[in-house]
Amino acid sequence: MVSALYILIAALGAAFFLGFLKDGMRATAYALTLAALVFMNFISAGWVWVFVVDGAAPVEILTSGFPPPFAINLRMGLTEAALTLLVNLSGLLSALYLKDVLLALGRRSMAVLLIAVMALCGIILTRDIFNLFVFFELAAIATAGLILLSEDKRALSAGFKYMIVAQAISVLLLIGIIFSYHATGTLNIDGMAEASTELKTGASIAFFLMFIAVVAELKPFPANGWALDIYESAHPAFSAIFSAASGAAFLFAADKLLHIGGAAWFPLATGIGIVTFVAANLLALPQTNDRRLLGYSSIAQTGLVLAVLGQQDILGDRYLFVAGGLLFAHSIAKAGLYWLSGLIAGRELPDWAALRSRPLLIFAFVTFIAMLSGLPPFPGFYAKWELARLLAGEGRIALLALILFGALLEAGYLFRWFGYIIKREQPAQRVACTPHKLAPVIAAVVAGWALGYLWGDLSGHANLLLAVPLLFALSFLLLEWLPAWIKNTLAIAGMVAFFVLTYAEYDPLRLIFSVIILIGGPIIFLASYHEHGRRIGFYPAAMLMYAGLTLLIRANDSFGFFAAWEMLTVGSYFLILRGKHSEPHALSYIIFSLGGAFMILAGFALAAQGAPQFDLASLSLLTQPLAPWVFILLALGFMTKTAAIGLHIWLPGAHGEAETDVSPMVSGILLKAGLFGLIVLLMTMGKQQLYGIELTHVLLWIGALSALLGNLMAIFEEDAKRLLAYSSIGQMGYAVFGLALMNHLGWLMALMFVINHYIYKSMLFLSAGGVAKRTGTRDMYRMGGLITLMPLSFIATLIGIIAVSGVPPLSGFGGRWIFYNAILSSDVRLPMVILFFAGPIAFLYLFRLIHTIFLGQLKDEHRKLKEAPFWIILPQMIFVVLLLVFAVAPGLALRRVDTYLNQFFPEGGLNWAGTTISSNYGYWNPVAIMITVCVIFGSLFAWLLFVNRKAQKVKQFNIVFAGERPYRPETTHFAWNFFAPYRKALGFMVQPFVTRFWSGLTDLLHAAADLSRRLYNGNGQTYAFHFIAFVVVVYFLWTGV
Amino acid sequence: MVYIAMATGFLLILIGFYGALTNRNLLRMIVAFSIADTGINLVIISVGYLPGRTAPILDTTVTAAAAAARIIDPVPQALVLTAIVIGVGVTALMLAYTLKLYEKKRTLDIAKFTELKW
Repeated sequence: MVSALYILIAALGAAFFLGFLKDGMRATAYALTLAALVFMNFISAGWVWVFVVDGAAPVEILTSGFPPPFAINLRMGLTEAALTLLVNLSGLLSALYLKDVLLALGRRSMAVLLIAVMALCGIILTRDIFNLFVFFELAAIATAGLILLSEDKRALSAGFKYMIVAQAISVLLLIGIIFSYHATGTLNIDGMAEASTELKTGASIAFFLMFIAVVAELKPFPANGWALDIYESAHPAFSAIFSAASGAAFLFAADKLLHIGGAAWFPLATGIGIVTFVAANLLALPQTNDRRLLGYSSIAQTGLVLAVLGQQDILGDRYLFVAGGLLFAHSIAKAGLYWLSGLIAGRELPDWAALRSRPLLIFAFVTFIAMLSGLPPFPGFYAKWELARLLAGEGRIALLALILFGALLEAGYLFRWFGYIIKREQPAQRVACTPHKLAPVIAAVVAGWALGYLWGDLSGHANLLLAVPLLFALSFLLLEWLPAWIKNTLAIAGMVAFFVLTYAEYDPLRLIFSVIILIGGPIIFLASYHEHGRRIGFYPAAMLMYAGLTLLIRANDSFGFFAAWEMLTVGSYFLILRGKHSEPHALSYIIFSLGGAFMILAGFALAAQGAPQFDLASLSLLTQPLAPWVFILLALGFMTKTAAIGLHIWLPGAHGEAETDVSPMVSGILLKAGLFGLIVLLMTMGKQQLYGIELTHVLLWIGALSALLGNLMAIFEEDAKRLLAYSSIGQMGYAVFGLALMNHLGWLMALMFVINHYIYKSMLFLSAGGVAKRTGTRDMYRMGGLITLMPLSFIATLIGIIAVSGVPPLSGFGGRWIFYNAILSSDVRLPMVILFFAGPIAFLYLFRLIHTIFLGQLKDEHRKLKEAPFWIILPQMIFVVLLLVFAVAPGLALRRVDTYLNQFFPEGGLNWAGTTISSNYGYWNPVAIMITVCVIFGSLFAWLLFVNRKAQKVKQFNIVFAGERPYRPETTHFAWNFFAPYRKALGFMVQPFVTRFWSGLTDLLHAAADLSRRLYNGNGQTYAFHFIAFVVVVYFLWTGV
Repeated sequence: MVYIAMATGFLLILIGFYGALTNRNLLRMIVAFSIADTGINLVIISVGYLPGRTAPILDTTVTAAAAAARIIDPVPQALVLTAIVIGVGVTALMLAYTLKLYEKKRTLDIAKFTELKW
């Protein structure tokens, strides 16, 4: 293998040789530069190959024939090889990206670029502390030179600010080095590590100065204003190197110093790192400039890795896996994003909407933010999982909580940005795409996915990129050029085929969920045939959600469950974001969902007690005092998906604003993921007590309140789809209540709700969506009298609301019947009363759907409306049939589950004899009820027709305004503010307290961030003062502690 | 003697930092950092100094065999040489920056270059 020394020699030699070229020979100079960089990459890649494939041992490189400490030595090991490859690759790709600039500026700029890359490689390779200092200075000088590549004139002052801080850093570093040398008698890093007992005490000021100087290069909060200014003003291709390569090199330098200082210094690294991570992410919230925002995110990610460096004592042999996963995910994503930013003309975040004209670049952006947020299947995800379980296993809960909090902030601003891209107006200037600028971006995307595969392989868990459902979903990315109807057919065929192949593997409980997902999903997909064109982005997102859902019910272990949970969250987010006005709602959805996911992660990590993963079934083995906390974390996580009251504010907008065929998917199917989680949780952990409080009892209350308030909020809604969305909150409340009863019938009722809610909510959303498509509005008071024009939609709605309201003869009644039986066998009274109260409220809003939309007067502009499109009606009719079948024969689905539940709750099952179902308290015969109701209804209807045969119809304008001219026409519509009297009486209960709470919280965070970022006042001298103050304060905190 | 040199070195470093933090003029800041650099060089040299010994130059008076007992530590001196070279490079670059900054705004006041902030 070529000696690693040639990395340095190639760069130096080429830079030197560039000086001999005539200034006119720029193409030659550029070719030489690229050739040198390719050669350097070749060496690094070769070493990576040698270490990975051949498993070779690290190689020591002696520079002048003497062993250390008499001469400087370098080392090439796996870490060094991987990091130099990262540095060299980002150098090469940036050089490619910078083609125009380098050719315009000539050979000197190319030499500086080569020196920068060489210096960073030197920092990684050297094992001599003074040599490290030299490479630091080289890197600083080259950095100051490369900053000037930018066309932005402000870069000049940014460069100077950097020089000031770099000077201060080198002063501290030199003092530290000379006294460390004095204490150990060597400059060799390994020699120092061996010789020094003094440095390892944690009180050595010499080591402190060295360490803090290196850490200062990692842009710790708050001594990092200079770095932000560089990120904002420098050329994006340089920022890519600065963020990806410099960050990696300096982090490795910090790791070398920790090798010298030993475990006593680990807490210092962790402390500085975590403060930086949280603070930088917080201050990023109010940013509007894209590159500065990326700068904050860079600083935060570097801080996170620094914190991980400080945790190497507990990470053990997973140290490189975790730190590497986070570092590579950050480096690749950040380099990619900076390269992307060079293609965008405007510097405000919404200017990135220009990407919309290039779906490939949107995919690149999504890849990058998914990597940064640690979503599957990227390396950061595996690293996050390992880190969480090891931290929780060692009881470092506060650190874990801070990491998750910071990560949530970061995901918040990244996904908000993505919302701008998809939803904001496209700027006039298009994306400037030249091949040499596109290539680095594509390379970063490919590298990201490849590392995702690699990390999956190394993780010791199942490699997510080998999971069939996920691969199926991802394959739709390659099929984007096909028309929508072909993709729709493929999606349906794939899901049904998967069900046919796997249905035998599920227990009855999971079978219900798998039928809803894999058969129910395709039924809703029928409505998607209505869409024409290619519908870019829809199928990958939808299939990602279904893949996540499928993997969720198939998961046996905690890791698989959590990975599936994140996949379905992300997929559904992309799906929800597609709605016309969905931007804010999709954002609140993803923030709540990721917050919930982090709770689940923390819960699993606590429960694992250090093990890499565990069978979900073994949750039952947990004991006090851990068990209730795990229970709370998991339950909270799952309830963000069921939209329990307090965590519900994302739901109305997300479901209401979604596209016609998306609303039933995210309502009818996706909400069940949360219930499934709760079922798994309650099935394994059962009743838990915390400080004497029965936690299932708390769940009962949450369920009851969700039912009551969800229903109350629904009755005051004017928008048909939002009304249905609020109603889901109530319905999920019922299901949570049923589960929390922790008895046989309660669970049966919850499962009945799972099935019923899927059928009728999908159906109602489709009919409301179909009507909205025809009328062009979702406001109910703008409709009316549509019964004759849209009879099929009417029938679907009628059947739907009969089913929802739980009156005979449809299956909703079955749910109620089981429910009444369930609470009779339970001893909770007050929540029960609340739940009873919620029932009639449901009537109020359901009634409006029929009354306001389909009955009453037809609007003038609606006279020529047609029935909703065929493909939207078709699934509704299938649902009508399903509802009728399920109403007459509920045993089809429930009987096996009833038997299955016996193993958990042997008491209180139902007896299934013929068509009659009986419990301890009574019996229910669905067939008889159906016949009775049909006969009564039929006779009454016939009688009504008979007596009304001569009735005169009231026409549209049979109305008198009594001399008044209506000020706002809708206020005179009878259906507007329909339940005003109720609002007077009960309005206090539906005040948006929860919304106010959460928006107050986000406002507070933003205000705090906006205030604190003024710390960075732009004055280089102030930044120098920040640095000095940082060093002093950290020193006193450190020695004080 | 060693301690006087070392104390002077630290004093120079502090003077340098003080100057860099209190002078808003770019050139004065560069001068201040040069003073701090000098202070560092002094500190490094004083760390390597051993009383009663001679310069680390091997010739007829100090043979290679006797060197270990008779010369002062040569490593800090080598370091200082490197540090001086680097210091010159950095100072030159900062001066070049200053020139450009002055051309841009016709001022040397660092407080005037705050377009980038927050």
